Amino acid sequence: MINLHPGIILLVGAFLALILRQQLLRQGIMILAPALALVSLLNIRVGTSFSYNFINDMELIILKVDRLSWLFGLIFCIVALVANIYALHVKRRGENVAGLAYAGCSLGVVFAGDWITMIFFWEVMAVASVLLIWNRKVPEAIKAGFRYILVHFFGGNLLLAGIFLKVSEGQIEITSLTNTNDAAFWLILLGISINAAIPPLHAWLTDAYPEGTVSGSVFLSAFTTKVAVYALIRIFSGTEFLIWAGVIMALYGVVYAVLENDIRRLLAYHIVSQVGYMVAAVGMGTYLALDGAAAHAFSHILYKSLLFMGAGAVIYATGKRKLTDLGGLWHKMPLVVILYMIGAFSISGVPLFNGFISKSMIISAAASNGMLAVEALLYLASIGTFLSIALKLPYFMFFGPDRGIEPKKLPTNMIVAMVMGASLCILYGVMPSLLYQYLPFGSIYQPFTIEHVISTVQLLVATFAAFWIFIPRLGGKHTISIDTDWFYRKPLVYFVNFLIDISYIIRFQSGILGNRLIHFLIPFFTNPLKWLKSTKDEPAWPVYSENKYRFPIGTTILMTIIVCITVYSFIWLT
Amino acid sequence: MSMNKVLIIFGVISFASIIIEILFVQPHIQYWWHGFVGFDLIFGFIGCVAIIVISKFAGKAFIQRKEDYYDGGDKSND
Repeated sequence: MINLHPGIILLVGAFLALILRQQLLRQGIMILAPALALVSLLNIRVGTSFSYNFINDMELIILKVDRLSWLFGLIFCIVALVANIYALHVKRRGENVAGLAYAGCSLGVVFAGDWITMIFFWEVMAVASVLLIWNRKVPEAIKAGFRYILVHFFGGNLLLAGIFLKVSEGQIEITSLTNTNDAAFWLILLGISINAAIPPLHAWLTDAYPEGTVSGSVFLSAFTTKVAVYALIRIFSGTEFLIWAGVIMALYGVVYAVLENDIRRLLAYHIVSQVGYMVAAVGMGTYLALDGAAAHAFSHILYKSLLFMGAGAVIYATGKRKLTDLGGLWHKMPLVVILYMIGAFSISGVPLFNGFISKSMIISAAASNGMLAVEALLYLASIGTFLSIALKLPYFMFFGPDRGIEPKKLPTNMIVAMVMGASLCILYGVMPSLLYQYLPFGSIYQPFTIEHVISTVQLLVATFAAFWIFIPRLGGKHTISIDTDWFYRKPLVYFVNFLIDISYIIRFQSGILGNRLIHFLIPFFTNPLKWLKSTKDEPAWPVYSENKYRFPIGTTILMTIIVCITVYSFIWLT
Repeated sequence: MSMNKVLIIFGVISFASIIIEILFVQPHIQYWWHGFVGFDLIFGFIGCVAIIVISKFAGKAFIQRKEDYYDGGDKSND
């Protein structure tokens, strides 16, 4: 079979979904396009590359496959299939198209071999993803979408500025920039950091992801941040400052998740936390750490999309999204509880679930690098993950006080997608070699040592005990948490209003002053003949007379003659 | 589940895990805590309490606001 770019297959699928009006045909495409992309990915050999001659003899490398991009491509194709199945019942065409296009562009970034291709897909990805938020079509979602897209355009422009610097130096291919420390390095790092949601640049994520449509948020949870992690591994591996950025991220998300009341926002804070592990691993830069980052991104996409599918199923069935409104659902939707818990155990790193095989790689990498504090703090963050995702959220969402909610029946496709996600989480957790054989940097790691398993079990049991004591204090509260988006939601609004007021005052006042000035000056600019002494006796109140302002007729004749002489002499002389 | 049952289950698992740790685990020690029997139990418990207390304190002190803090509030559902 010929090699096709999997991202392009999805983009073609998105285009077909755009022009097809029948939902049945669109549903066919939503399954067929990701499935074909997956098949074509499995057929692509590492080392393949397609290039295309762009303007000015620039050779754009649209597809460049190495072990790293292949692994990310694989998980993106899998999650595109799962999320599209989850979204099959959605009738809004725009949302169907946006999901496919978003997945396609993510694959475009992953397989891009040069900066120009990368920034192109990077920007289209931002546009496609905001459509998934706007499709919820309520004012909150539209506002959150606007904030989301503005932050992403800002980040995209920083990246673009860095890329201009790179390309103008003649470096078109994407290469590692570690330790270059020039302007391009910082611009590109900042642009990617915004997408990776490194605090304080993370607020777009927790602001917008909970506002997406039920199925849209599943797509959102999978792609943008993990594309950024991929870019960080490729471009910035071993940049030490990322270690601490990652540790701060991991703990930051944990703290906010304890306070959060909105179920999908709680999950979103744990995207920040989990991506923190990957960012820290990129900073460490050893082969074990980088493999850990790639493996954790792989696992994270599976379990986090499963968690978002579970939370989305609850929101779909009950119409409620806050812990304070939910409770007592476990006997009404037992299947969702089981599937959600599989995702929750995976993210917490319970042995035999897929978080365990990847998270422990990163913590072990920190230990073997001699980074005592990093190891301890990442370990601490994993306590918070178990506490919020696997204990607090399910306890108050499914168990806890019964609020007498009657959930709607879920469409079969949602259940099928969740079962697929859950089976993959368990499959990779039980057979880690399925993932380890594809790891890009070839490190060797054994997760199931008795030491690891016992310490994980002890950690989780102790966390559970502490949770059990603190249950009365952990319930959701009717509050929201302010985060760094406060800066552009409060002071920036006041600042912009202030600037508008200032400019209004300047315009208004200058209008008044200008008017006064003109009225004051008018008398000085009247016809100067008025000042000459008249030869006739004029009436006291002068009557308008044209003759007074007219030149004598002879003047016109004189001027005509002068012009004729000049023109003729010019023609004669030359 | 009642408080007592949970505490009994918790105690049994912790005890079993400590026994297994003492009998079977040969830790490769990079820091002292890797060889400390039952360290993860203590770390997990204290860590969890610390996370809850610090988060709740930070929430009360700086972070949490009323739901309609950003103009008009969030009344929507899906």
